[in-house]
Amino acid sequence: MPEQPPYEPERAIAGTGMGGQMDLAASEATTLEQPPPGGPGESGHEASAASGERPRSLWSDAWHDLRRNPVFIIAGLVILFLVLISVWPSLIASGNPLKCDLSRAQEGSRPGHPFGFDGQGCDVYTRTVYGARTSVLVGVLATLGVAVLGSVLGGLAGFFGGVPDSILSRITDVFFAIPVVLGGLVLLSVITSNTVWPVIGFIVLLGWPQISRIARGSVITVKQNDYVQAARALGASSSRLLLRHIAPNAVAPVIVVATIALGTYIALEATLSFLGVGLKPPSVSWGIDISAAAPYIRNAPHALLWPSGALAITVLAFIMLGDAVRDALDPKLR
Amino acid sequence: MRAATHAVRAACAAAATLAVTACGGGGGAGGDRGAVLSSSWGDPQNPLEPANTNEVQGGKVLDMIFRGLKKYDPDTGEARDMLAERIETTDSRNFTITVKDGWTFSNGEKVTAQSFVDAWNYGASLRNNQRNAYFFGYIDGYDKVHPADGSKQSADTLSGLKVTGPLTFTVKLNQKFSSFPETLGYNAFAPLPRAFFDDHDAWLKKPVGNGPYMVENYTRGSQMSLRKWEEYPGPDKAQNGGVDLKVYTDPNTAYTDLMAGNLDLTDDVPAAQLKNVKSDLGDRYINTPAGILQTLAFPYYDERWNKEGSEKVRKGLSMAIDREQITNTIFQKTRTPATDWTSPVLGKDGGFKEGLCGEACEYRPDEAKKLIQEGGGLPGGQIKITYNADTGSHKQWVDAVCNSINNALDNDRACVGNPVGTFADFRNQITGKKMSGPFRAGWQMDYPLIQNFLQPLYYTGGSSNDGKWSNQEFDDLVDKANAETDPAEAVRTFQQAEEVVRDHMAAIPLWYQNGSAGYSDRLSGVKLNPFSVPVYNEIKVG
Repeated sequence: MPEQPPYEPERAIAGTGMGGQMDLAASEATTLEQPPPGGPGESGHEASAASGERPRSLWSDAWHDLRRNPVFIIAGLVILFLVLISVWPSLIASGNPLKCDLSRAQEGSRPGHPFGFDGQGCDVYTRTVYGARTSVLVGVLATLGVAVLGSVLGGLAGFFGGVPDSILSRITDVFFAIPVVLGGLVLLSVITSNTVWPVIGFIVLLGWPQISRIARGSVITVKQNDYVQAARALGASSSRLLLRHIAPNAVAPVIVVATIALGTYIALEATLSFLGVGLKPPSVSWGIDISAAAPYIRNAPHALLWPSGALAITVLAFIMLGDAVRDALDPKLR
Repeated sequence: MRAATHAVRAACAAAATLAVTACGGGGGAGGDRGAVLSSSWGDPQNPLEPANTNEVQGGKVLDMIFRGLKKYDPDTGEARDMLAERIETTDSRNFTITVKDGWTFSNGEKVTAQSFVDAWNYGASLRNNQRNAYFFGYIDGYDKVHPADGSKQSADTLSGLKVTGPLTFTVKLNQKFSSFPETLGYNAFAPLPRAFFDDHDAWLKKPVGNGPYMVENYTRGSQMSLRKWEEYPGPDKAQNGGVDLKVYTDPNTAYTDLMAGNLDLTDDVPAAQLKNVKSDLGDRYINTPAGILQTLAFPYYDERWNKEGSEKVRKGLSMAIDREQITNTIFQKTRTPATDWTSPVLGKDGGFKEGLCGEACEYRPDEAKKLIQEGGGLPGGQIKITYNADTGSHKQWVDAVCNSINNALDNDRACVGNPVGTFADFRNQITGKKMSGPFRAGWQMDYPLIQNFLQPLYYTGGSSNDGKWSNQEFDDLVDKANAETDPAEAVRTFQQAEEVVRDHMAAIPLWYQNGSAGYSDRLSGVKLNPFSVPVYNEIKVG
């Protein structure tokens, strides 16, 4: 990812393709007056409706591609479903994930309990559904934290350069050198909190350098573009340059990496919980359930397979989504 | 000793049996006398000083490298003379002990009366801060070398111990204690060589004892290698070349290693495998009654557990636990719901009294809820049961106990488990008084007397009174029982003391535990003693 080409704000003038540099002079003028492009989708209809008259932005172009990508549609639907049951698990699971009846331990599936029971007699279906909430919550919040912290630090370092940049780069090197699982075992084992915050905090702590590097590289590339130089020449302040001209054009690689990372963060949460240092009961998490069911694999494999399957599908969905977004934002890679 | 793992240590155990050496004779039926076996283990909490080891993993090793005056029969648990030639008394207060001639430590030094007296003085002295010091509390002069209030000691040696000859010494107790000789098989009473005092650090690195095995080396977190001491003078010589104790932090891993042929013996069969163990191992799985009681102890140093009405909360918690269901489902009936605070291995005459706990140990969810409310509710609205996650399948049963309590109280979050990674760490947190709620307290007896199930655990200042419970009435009854010369009367008095424990629910009894072990087809002659420790010296390899 880091090697993204500069994104020209208003690429499309159809047909120009990659040779964009030539059009810079022309497009730059427009850029300066236009509001920064919005999120994907914002201009979808508009853009197509206006096709031919108005050039499509990078974002509307990407959205246009995405809508036609079956991988994106499938992943999107899965994620939509996950988000829905995270917000509202009782929609499809009426039970209480903490209510367990030991007399039914390890029993297989039966009407009303499609996934059977685990070693403690808890309903595997209910726990699997409720487990989505912590996974999605940890994944989304950790990604937000990583993206915000990483792009702010990386962006500033890239923009200003010099000594602060060197210092930050060395700090990221230090964090890169920390093995994630080992770091988790050491740092999280001293924390007794039962909430999701220590896990999120830990992921942000170890995850931001990745984004920071990408944001830094991206900002450095963008800031050399002529339209930035032009704005600077016109007397724009640093904050205006950063916010109006650089950030909107440098953010794409960050979004791509963050989307893919979201899936890995969910897997990381499950890993840490499996090792007993992530979330702790009574939190309901797939990692916890997988860990508890592992010793019973010979007698009650269903208690292990369902949460594992849910975890696998979720991680896959986010990674596929990230892939699709990358393809859309970076057509060069296709 | 305490119980730790599944109990606490058992120091004793042994295989000794003077007579009948099951082993021994004739060499015939096979077994490679030089072959080494591997066995599962966990790191001990402390360096292996005999008077400082009160947990089961360290005790296991002491049991192999030391022999004391008495040895507990590996089959019956009865205390039999080992190094003791004679222990004589006329008044249950003054004892004359004669040590057998011909015993030496593995470094060649002779075991004499002085070896015992030095060791006991070391163990009792406040300066040395030994966890089992309390076992010497009945010897005259203990209050001088180990003042109860922690003030400076005014003597270095116990005035009640006198060496009267190379192999004889006398012991004067500060009160009558009729079963004193039976306690002498406990490892706190082991003899120590001069090397222990002369170069203590070197000794700690490589302990030297007088048992059938010698320590070859020890790497914390990995393995302790013990090798047969060829010149061992005792009757219970090792029938194998040695034992490698391998550290496992999860019994499931040990079990998997056993199945894969990487391990010869595990004495901690995980609960999750109990359903399969018969088909996996056939008759290489053993399950025998042991003097182990699993309980939940409470931190009485935390005033929330030591206030008016908190005994109602504890009793309520006890009644919220469905012991029957848990022992059936989680443990596949290899444990029995407890109805008193001792163990069936003591026998009725020894003090086991079925049903002494009464309805407080029965599952009565409605009453439980009521009692807890009357007692002021759970402190902080939630209890955390602290346990160590590396042995004994504790996670499974703690989760089950919590679910049972939650169901009874109709509150999803009334109880949660709080795992601690390793046993040694768990013990450190307990001895550091870091508990804020109930914690797992398995008790593996040190010697088969009802006294051992009560005094170390509930007597004020007792060596394994981890919760620091203190009750004058209980202390008085124990003193009275110890002074009793009629064994039956002593047992009755101990049972009265046990009723005091019940009335305050000082600890919640859960279940009596069996010892269980599985072993590879290389081994024969494997058995567990009543302390649930494998009788290593009788195992044959090959």
